[in-house]
Amino acid sequence: MPDWNDEVRKRLRGLKVSPANEAEIVEELAQHLDDVYQRALASGAGEAEAKQMALNELNAEHPLLIEVQRYEKHAPEEVILPGETRRLNVLADLLQDLRYATRMLWKNPGFTTVAVIALALGIGANTAIFSVVNTVLLRPLPYKAPEQLVMVWEDATRHGYPRDTPAAANYVDWRDQNSVFSGMAAIADSNFNLTGVGDPERLKGRRVSASLFPLLGVEPHLGRVFTAAEDQPGTERVAVLSHRLWQRRFGGDAAIVGKTLTLNNESYTVVGVMPARFQFPANDDELWVPIAFTAQEAANRNRHYLEVVARLKPGVSLEQAQTEMTTIGARLQQQYPQSNADLGVAVNSLHEHMVGDIKPALLILLGAVGLVLLIACANVANLLLARAAIRQKEIALRVALGARRWRLLRQFLTESLLLATFGGIVGLAIAYVGLLVLGSFIPENISQAREISLDLKVLGFTLGVSLLTGLVFGLAPAIQAVRLNQSETLKEGGRDSVTGRSGKRLRGLLVTAEVAVSLVLLIGAGLLINSFLRLRSIDPGFRADNLLTMKIELPEPKYEAFERREAFYTDLVQRVQSLAGVRSAAVTTNLPLYRQGNSISVRIEGRPEPPPGQELIVVTRIISPGYFDTMSIPLLAGRQLTDQDTETTQNVVVISETMARRHWPGEDPVGKRLSAGRPRSEADWIQVVGVVKDVRQFELNAEPRPQMYLSYRQAAFFFPEDLVVKTDVDPASLAATVRKTVWEIDKDQPVSNIRTMDEILAESIARQRFSMLLLGIFAGVALLLAAVGIYGVMSYSVAQRTHEIGIRMALGAETSAVLKLAVGYGLKLVIAGVVIGLIAAFALTRLMSTLLFGVTPTDPATFVVISVLLICVAAIASYIPARRATKVDPLVALRYE
Amino acid sequence: MAMSYIGSRMLDRELKKGSAELLILSLLETQPRHGYDIGTLIEQRSKGHLRFNVASLYPLLYRLEKRGWIQGRWVEKSGQRRRRYYRLTAEGKKILKEQRNSWREFVEAINSITGLEHA
Repeated sequence: MPDWNDEVRKRLRGLKVSPANEAEIVEELAQHLDDVYQRALASGAGEAEAKQMALNELNAEHPLLIEVQRYEKHAPEEVILPGETRRLNVLADLLQDLRYATRMLWKNPGFTTVAVIALALGIGANTAIFSVVNTVLLRPLPYKAPEQLVMVWEDATRHGYPRDTPAAANYVDWRDQNSVFSGMAAIADSNFNLTGVGDPERLKGRRVSASLFPLLGVEPHLGRVFTAAEDQPGTERVAVLSHRLWQRRFGGDAAIVGKTLTLNNESYTVVGVMPARFQFPANDDELWVPIAFTAQEAANRNRHYLEVVARLKPGVSLEQAQTEMTTIGARLQQQYPQSNADLGVAVNSLHEHMVGDIKPALLILLGAVGLVLLIACANVANLLLARAAIRQKEIALRVALGARRWRLLRQFLTESLLLATFGGIVGLAIAYVGLLVLGSFIPENISQAREISLDLKVLGFTLGVSLLTGLVFGLAPAIQAVRLNQSETLKEGGRDSVTGRSGKRLRGLLVTAEVAVSLVLLIGAGLLINSFLRLRSIDPGFRADNLLTMKIELPEPKYEAFERREAFYTDLVQRVQSLAGVRSAAVTTNLPLYRQGNSISVRIEGRPEPPPGQELIVVTRIISPGYFDTMSIPLLAGRQLTDQDTETTQNVVVISETMARRHWPGEDPVGKRLSAGRPRSEADWIQVVGVVKDVRQFELNAEPRPQMYLSYRQAAFFFPEDLVVKTDVDPASLAATVRKTVWEIDKDQPVSNIRTMDEILAESIARQRFSMLLLGIFAGVALLLAAVGIYGVMSYSVAQRTHEIGIRMALGAETSAVLKLAVGYGLKLVIAGVVIGLIAAFALTRLMSTLLFGVTPTDPATFVVISVLLICVAAIASYIPARRATKVDPLVALRYE
Repeated sequence: MAMSYIGSRMLDRELKKGSAELLILSLLETQPRHGYDIGTLIEQRSKGHLRFNVASLYPLLYRLEKRGWIQGRWVEKSGQRRRRYYRLTAEGKKILKEQRNSWREFVEAINSITGLEHA
């Protein structure tokens, strides 16, 4: 008889168990082998054959040692299939998990749809806003070492301009006296009429110091930039073109360098073309010429019109630069008390300057989308929790069938991540569409707005957010589900932690949090909507309907003579007024709400000259007499300007009510006299003949300042350049006709900025509309998600209690009592959320005070209305499932287990 | 496809392991049995479809014992070598009941799906 003990022991060599234990195992297995051997012999097999049959028992798929060892050492239950690596197993598991997860999601279309939409909204909004924030706030400016670039301003806080455009002489002194900047350059607006090639066109350009391009560290795409010699008066006129202008007007002509252009009737030689990405300072600048200060210009401290950019020396901080510039500013104040009294110097980073005041709005939006994403995650977590509860039987079954808990945990995670991935994909689509929509609302004056697009960083961000979301909301339910005590769960109707008290508390907590976060968002949106409505209802001081406007800037060399200009305007107004559909027409130096315009310091007859720094600054418009009628600006006292007010008659002025009130309080200003600057002769006095209503000249939400209007026939300090036409028909329909009329007078005269006044009005509040719209959308999404969340939790909670409700109903409970019970639970959660939300809103809304107009950040009406709204929505969301529960037949409910 | 081969083979293993436990527990429900007895009964009652050899049966028994569902004890009878008999513990009885339910549900589920596909 073979020695079975020996055979077994041979195969168990290396088994690390106690000798006694090993002996028992060997004995037991050997007996089994012997039984097999004996039976084989009994059934007629030969000895050798019987032995082989017994030994076959040991030659199994797995070596005996491993199998026994696994049990003995309680080794991890990872199966290692012979001939296959562990990696393949992991991969196979993953594929199996994925397949299973897909099937589970596919089988529950309702759950999957709601969860994916909730996530997609959160992720989509996040990506869209992050794209904007990334482009506008985070992406470095396209210049060399952009963090060293700063803007330098005159600090004229006393006059209401903490960052005023400097005068040339101040710029020259700053440049020559500072030790903190490695370079400084000045920029001045300068527009050019391009003639001689195709239609005449008005081009937005800049006069810049030759040092500008090297200072920014940007090389031209073609040719070269300016030399220092070209930045001197009286040298040959040269120009550098923007890439866009070069493409648009010259078809990307590679031989453009060296060619000449006619700009403002003078000949300029093109020396270079900038690269496509280059823009400075604004995104619509089309060409640059040297600033070439004349000696007279370089000594002027009264014309404030420059923008100054400088580069910090390495190692110099913004604060150090500010300190030194303040010192220089103080020195200049002492040196030039007449012009520089109260004039400081302000330094801020170029980035801050370019990003402008959109920053708080964008940051608040970023916060808002974060909150929406949180709500979306809470919602999905809630859905998954409820589902985990429903699936507990399935889980118990799988555990009983030998599924390992880690595998189950991984299965849940796979499902969550898959869900998050779907959410991410749909979200990306939403983001793409959202960005297109968003793009059309981004105020045009944000210089980097044109570059906004979905980029890789954003893609990474979204992916991260969606994966993180999957982990966050997948883990909690998964851990809970796997913590099941299987013997408990398998009992019929057994309740475990997911369905039990802690699960209910967790879901309740999520709903409360959702409500709190939604409330904060809704209140924020409510405040913005409130502000916007107030802004919209401000009377701008004129009627914007049926007004067509366009810019007609007369080039200086050609129209330098006062008579030529006067003749042009008179002819233009007359011709346009005679067009069919036109009621009246007028010209003005600046249209209202364009955020720019001229001001003059005036002296009033019979009053002492104000000390430096306390001049009477008056917003001044040079107009043609029909302006008030055309704009429907009401006359309050005296008379309007007329065609009879000419060069040869008494100089007259119409003032605004604020100016009348401020400078002639309690008096009738009509008949009083004032002068622009110090009067040199009797002829310099200008008589007030009328008072008109205030017009919001700069911004709708800025209080009107003193204003005055002079006739273009009498005042020559500024040139009108805006034509405004009151029409009887749709104003846009007359645009082509009016432009043709201009060309009838001067075929080389460009016409630009053709807009209706309604458009200008809308644009002036575009930022506010933008913020309001976005936050409003987010708040709406938040409200929707919160309602879905409450509904989901209530549905689930009611479904769980169907049994209880059935008993109550069977015992004679009134429907209303049952409803109260169910809705009461929902409302308890909601009211807790509202209370927390209100506290948070009180703390958070002050962050947006700069975005508000006419409402305080803690506006009680907004807080109350929004809270009530949210409670109502929540009540409805919990009423519907509760109502359904009371409709259930008690018998069915009792059988519901 | 290699992947689906691995997948189905693994499913096979899982199933077999789950059902093997149930089979052993069931056989021990009425009376204690030794390993050879268990192996033979499984083979007989399944008309040869299911077969456990020594290398797979005993590790399984040891595992069930370790979990406390069955308990092994050496029993000597006159005229025979001593043998290790396994019996069901209280815990094992509970598990057996649960596994039977699960198994029934599982089979029903499988049937309802496969039934549906034939319909």
